[in-house]
Amino acid sequence: MGIFLVYFGYFFVTIGAIFLFLGALGIYRMPDLYTRLQAGTKASTLGAMSLILGVAFLEPDWWIKLIIMILFIAFSNPLSSHAIARGSYKHNLKPFSKEQIDAYEEVEESKEEQE
Amino acid sequence: MIKQFFVILILSIVGYFLVDAFFKVPFGEKRNNVGNYYIEKSPVDLKVSNAVTAIVVNYRGFDTLGEVTVLFLAATGLGSIMYRRKQKGEKEARAKNPSSRIIQIGSQILFPMIILLGGYVFIHGHLSPGGGFQGGAIIATASLLMLISYRKFKINHNTITWIESIAGVVFASLGFVGLVLGRTFLENFLPSGELNDLLSGGIIGIIYIAVGFKVASELTGVIDTVLLNNRPEAQKEN
Repeated sequence: MGIFLVYFGYFFVTIGAIFLFLGALGIYRMPDLYTRLQAGTKASTLGAMSLILGVAFLEPDWWIKLIIMILFIAFSNPLSSHAIARGSYKHNLKPFSKEQIDAYEEVEESKEEQE
Repeated sequence: MIKQFFVILILSIVGYFLVDAFFKVPFGEKRNNVGNYYIEKSPVDLKVSNAVTAIVVNYRGFDTLGEVTVLFLAATGLGSIMYRRKQKGEKEARAKNPSSRIIQIGSQILFPMIILLGGYVFIHGHLSPGGGFQGGAIIATASLLMLISYRKFKINHNTITWIESIAGVVFASLGFVGLVLGRTFLENFLPSGELNDLLSGGIIGIIYIAVGFKVASELTGVIDTVLLNNRPEAQKEN
């Protein structure tokens, strides 16, 4: 049983490392702030969570602390990126898109019409 | 022209002494005996696994008391410089736009977790990296999160001042207790316990808890003062 736990652990750690690498690549490759945030946040959140889960399999004694860390990342990382994206939108940073689609603006306009 | 000459002269004098001192420093030799003493003795004498904590709180504890006082002076000075009387009809709000529901609800979940992390960091200061200053700073970021997400979140400065004062008094009075029971100021009068145990290291744990509370309350006060006085409307009025 123990050897399977180790294999599970290495599997999750590898998955996490791949996702973290893809997140870094996305930050480098994407054209503007919003897409970079998307790449950085989604990939790095899931990558870090998977990596910590793998460590929990490898070191079963630490699992309570590691679960708390996973919860903390799950709460804090999307929250901070949401705050950054919203703040930069409020400061009139337009998203990069060839079709000039801005769904959030439409939502805001419909809100104002309702009020 | 003569100004440049003097500049070059002073620079060359300073440079000569710097280069001279640089070549007198032995390279690659173990000359730092006091550092080796701390590393070897702190797990044996004090039963503290974090040598940095042993230096900061025990061997150089008096110095740390001075540092805490410097921080207190800085916070007080900032408060007295930034203090501004509230004008008529002035609103308490900090930012123009309220933050979104997501941030408000999320910060409610994150606030206790950050407080927990900060408390963990300063309670385990003698076992793992971290300590009173770091834990206090983490707790101050929790209050910064609440101040950013809620426009009307208020911090009671009386409570903060009380916590700060009590923590400082605890630190200083521990030093005097050491003076009475032992020989020197801040002497370790409690039993050292076992290595890698939570209740070990004598007075280090108590001092770091006091420092953690003190730093947390001071930095919270600083953040609140800066945020309250630096909002855009206030600058326009002046």
